[in-house]
Amino acid sequence: MKHQTIEKSVPLMAVLTLLVVLIGGIVEIVPLFYIESTIEKVEGMRPYTPLELRGRDLYIREGCYNCHSQMIRPFRDEAERYGHYSLAAESMYDHPFQWGSKRTGPDLARVGGKYSSLWHQAHMKNPRDMVPESVMPSYPWLAENELDISDIAKRMEALTMVGVPYTKEQIANAVADLKAQAIPDSDSDGLLARYGEKVSLENFDGQSDRITELDAMVAYLQMLGTLVDFSSYQAQSR
Amino acid sequence: MADNKEIETTGHKWDDEEGYPLTEYNNPLPKWWLYSYYATIIFAVVYWVLYPAWPTPNGFTKGILGWTQYGQLKEEMEEGQKARKVFEEKLSSLTSQEISQDSQLLQFAISGGKTIFGDNCAPCHGNSGIGSKVGGFPTLVDDDWLFGGTLENITTTIKYGRKGQMPAHLEANGGSFSQAQVSDLTQYALSLSGRASDNAAVTRGDELYHGEASCNSCHGDHGKGSLIGKADGEPIDNSIGAPNLSDAIWLYGSDPATVEASIAKGRTGEMPSWAEDSDRAGRKLNDLAIKQVSIYVHSLGGGQ
Repeated sequence: MKHQTIEKSVPLMAVLTLLVVLIGGIVEIVPLFYIESTIEKVEGMRPYTPLELRGRDLYIREGCYNCHSQMIRPFRDEAERYGHYSLAAESMYDHPFQWGSKRTGPDLARVGGKYSSLWHQAHMKNPRDMVPESVMPSYPWLAENELDISDIAKRMEALTMVGVPYTKEQIANAVADLKAQAIPDSDSDGLLARYGEKVSLENFDGQSDRITELDAMVAYLQMLGTLVDFSSYQAQSR
Repeated sequence: MADNKEIETTGHKWDDEEGYPLTEYNNPLPKWWLYSYYATIIFAVVYWVLYPAWPTPNGFTKGILGWTQYGQLKEEMEEGQKARKVFEEKLSSLTSQEISQDSQLLQFAISGGKTIFGDNCAPCHGNSGIGSKVGGFPTLVDDDWLFGGTLENITTTIKYGRKGQMPAHLEANGGSFSQAQVSDLTQYALSLSGRASDNAAVTRGDELYHGEASCNSCHGDHGKGSLIGKADGEPIDNSIGAPNLSDAIWLYGSDPATVEASIAKGRTGEMPSWAEDSDRAGRKLNDLAIKQVSIYVHSLGGGQ
């Protein structure tokens, strides 16, 4: 058929245009209905604790994602350096996710537990003190700013709307749980009952008298990539 | 131009008043372009057959080659492991001492250790073990050790970690000494490296050091530290890690304010435990990796 024929007939042009848009639409939209099947069934995933959640907010506020990805790709060089490749399940409670391919700094998907909190405190204050060749900016204000926890429950509620399974109890106890995680030797039974025994309790910023933004940031960094139990994970259908 | 029959037009004509209408050419695509285009279509179809391609309700089309990126990763990892295996088996079966006598094995252990060190240790101890500008992370390239510089000592330190045990002395920080006494102790500590500025304070500090504060029980009578602190240069206890106060090497800084802060607030620097059975969260190292790192650290210049 000559293009001229199509061009000169409005009904024919309309029908063919519709056909092209339809195919494009189906290819784009249909997979979304099967997205659940791409998330592996794994042991250990849980929503962020309130303190970690605030840390994640700060991570986004400070634009860490501009230089750090959180996605280990299934390549040998990445596996040797960072560990097991990232699973979709590991970012299922992330809104928005922190995947990416642009790395000015290293990937952070499994940075949790790799360094001590002491290291993070010094590193945030001035990265060059820890890594002389680092080009990362300094974030000294994190250790100075009191952490704003006034709206933590609302932040969690908002996340439930996009599918993060925070329970009513978790939301009601948000402030208490946040304090329990950041203040050593406080009563943490409730926090551990709600989020699991593996939640790490620590004075993340090294200052015992107050909860700073650094507490939240370090708590978040220290749990990244540590949730999934890989000893029980079998690479499903791969 | 209107009567030029050699060039096909779309048939549209505009502005024909003067007999020279505007027309729209219908030029065919260059042949090379057109055939390349067909070739890419064929390539795509072949690709769909060979490789994973289309999503289906139950997953995706797997392709007849059975290739997956996870399979490829597994293969590549196994290849790497196979290449290392020969050396690793030897390294595992020999003691660190034996390895250091075989130059080829030693070379392998050192380069392996260097890589592991770069990934796990360098963040605190600096590239090549030069230490950190911020106090508390010791340099590993000198022969001034806190917990001993033999291969065995280094392995123990890496495996089980170490913890600084300098207590706080100032009353306000939970200690049992006044600000004046802490200042006196500071002056005495500085005097050990010949830098005191107040002789009366040094005398008072001397008394506290060997008496009430009993600093000498860890740092030794002459401030030589827990490794060589006894009068005959023998260790007091090589698991304490009390530094030598009489030399020019300082863990947290040599200026009077920093020394005073160390005495007043104490120091609890921590080396994490890297053994696989440690209950610390996060990355750990297997015995072989620890052996390699130990040999690497030992080779940095200060190994004993």
